[in-house]
Amino acid sequence: MPLAIRTEKLGKTYLSGFLRRPFVALSELTMEVRVGSSFGLVGPNGAGKTTAIKTLMGLQRPSAGQAWIHGVAITDHESRRRVGFMPERPYFYEYLTAWEFLDFYARLTEVEAAARRPRIEALLERVNLDRFRHVPLGKFSKGMLQRAGIAQALVNDPDLVVLDEPMSGLDPLGRVLVRDIIQEERRKGKTVFFSSHILGDVEAICDEVAIVVAGTLRGQGTVRELIGQTADEVDCTFVIAGDPPGRVMRRDGDRVTVRVPSGNVDATIDAVRAAGGHVLEVHPNARTLEEVLLDEVERAKLVNEKRLGVLA
Amino acid sequence: MNRVYVIAANTFREAVRDRVLNSILFFAVILLCLSLTLKEMSIGDTAKVVRGVALGGTSLLAAVIAIFLGVGLVYKEIEKKTIYTLASKPLPRWHLLLGKYLGLWITLAAEVGLLTLFYTLVLATQQGLPSLGVYLAMVLLMAELSLLTAWATLFSTFATPMTASAFSVCIYLIGHFADDLRLFAERAEDGPFKTMLSILYRVVPNLESFNIRDEAVHGVPVPWSEVLWSGAYGLGYSAAVLAVAMIIFERRDFK
Ligand SMILES: Nc1ncnc2c1ncn2[C@@H]1O[C@H](COP(=O)(O)OP(=O)(O)OP(=O)(O)O)[C@@H](O)[C@H]1O
Ligand SMILES: [Mg+2]
Repeated sequence: MPLAIRTEKLGKTYLSGFLRRPFVALSELTMEVRVGSSFGLVGPNGAGKTTAIKTLMGLQRPSAGQAWIHGVAITDHESRRRVGFMPERPYFYEYLTAWEFLDFYARLTEVEAAARRPRIEALLERVNLDRFRHVPLGKFSKGMLQRAGIAQALVNDPDLVVLDEPMSGLDPLGRVLVRDIIQEERRKGKTVFFSSHILGDVEAICDEVAIVVAGTLRGQGTVRELIGQTADEVDCTFVIAGDPPGRVMRRDGDRVTVRVPSGNVDATIDAVRAAGGHVLEVHPNARTLEEVLLDEVERAKLVNEKRLGVLA
Repeated sequence: MNRVYVIAANTFREAVRDRVLNSILFFAVILLCLSLTLKEMSIGDTAKVVRGVALGGTSLLAAVIAIFLGVGLVYKEIEKKTIYTLASKPLPRWHLLLGKYLGLWITLAAEVGLLTLFYTLVLATQQGLPSLGVYLAMVLLMAELSLLTAWATLFSTFATPMTASAFSVCIYLIGHFADDLRLFAERAEDGPFKTMLSILYRVVPNLESFNIRDEAVHGVPVPWSEVLWSGAYGLGYSAAVLAVAMIIFERRDFK
């Protein structure tokens, strides 16, 4: 199974302040990102997501461990040859126009001269910035910059796209756009590795998710695995006068929600309808990714009360 | 190496679009023209003085711009976080630094070229065409500037622009008084002070060795060997300083 990213006990310690006090921002991160997957890195603020990404992108040296991109050690700049990267809250040269900006990075990543123009045209159109091609980035809004940043990350048609919070600062339309782009890349067989706070999006588009809390990996797997496998219980809501069979979870006038084992759903519905009731809603009792994340944060708190105090 | 050029070109473009820089340059051109037209009111040798002032002014101004741009060269990329997209690209970091340095050098060359052009134009209407010596002096000025920018670049890899400017101005001043520094070192009493002075004298470049402006103004010929030697000295010295800057830059974390 070919890997796009592999990290082995990757760690980063910052020395901060005048006293150079060490702060462990990332510790012993070991994970694997398969080629062709869309991989979400989630965690609360200050968890170490950006730290992990910056280390992978060669912007800072790891203090411990090692990592490889497409099998090449990250300490070698060649590891980033087939990679596109958009940093968190992108900052770009304000004096360049959108076109010049993409052209600059296309040249830097050695996109062939003949391919540059059509590639840039297509990308500007893809992120809805084609009308602004000759506007300097200094005049762009936050969301426009974010979209320009994504176009920049794709300009060399990379096999691995690394995005640090691609959805932040975007309106709903922009978020849908980015979601579509990520899924499109994945369909082309590319790997997308991104961090996000918008867990609904992560749940919807990620094949795999890693949860990082306080610099430590707290879980990795498919969304399904993380939210507690397949649900064995189902919540059914009925409009009925009496008590339907099953464990009553909630009652609001004649509306009742009961929780039943998934094998009993049909029987329960039949019983309710026989008694003259109506079915309103049936849905599996699965946790959301958000709940899983909050649980992990709680657990980490118990394990290490002090470190989390720093994070808050 | 093609990508070094891409970075150099972008650095040049940034400077060209810099409003502060453009206004400095605009005023420089005005001042140059004004100082040269002073000849109208002068008699005899004052024409030489005026030419001397114009040349000296050009070199001083170029040095100011060199320091102004040089100290921000790396710092601004880090401060504005544009370094994140730049340094994550698959090329060795020293290529980035070299590209930025060359871009700055091209900027300065364009500026000195522009000022020389105005100097020539105004002089041609006032006193007749300048001598070859003037152009040689400008070439050596570029050698001096490459050295100065190398130092400024070195400082900008680890210091804030304020600190880096202070350091660079020190280098500039000490560099122009290097001969006095040596005399001073020779005359000082033996001891740690003397040792310090002589180390300083050896480390800091002798910027006066690039100054043939007086000769140019007075029409005194300068031997080619001296020009070549100074050029080579500037090139070698800049390369050494730049190499140190590259080593520091290579090891930096961009936080
Ligand atoms: N340069 C630095 N020096 C010292 N500490 C740092 C530095 N950069 C980050 N940190 C600390 O490391 C921790 C992890 O930060 P990081 O930016 O990786 O978090 P994150 O998961 O990306 O958070 P967010 O969701 O807010 O972007 C934080 O506690 C932060 O304060
Ligand atoms: Mg972050």
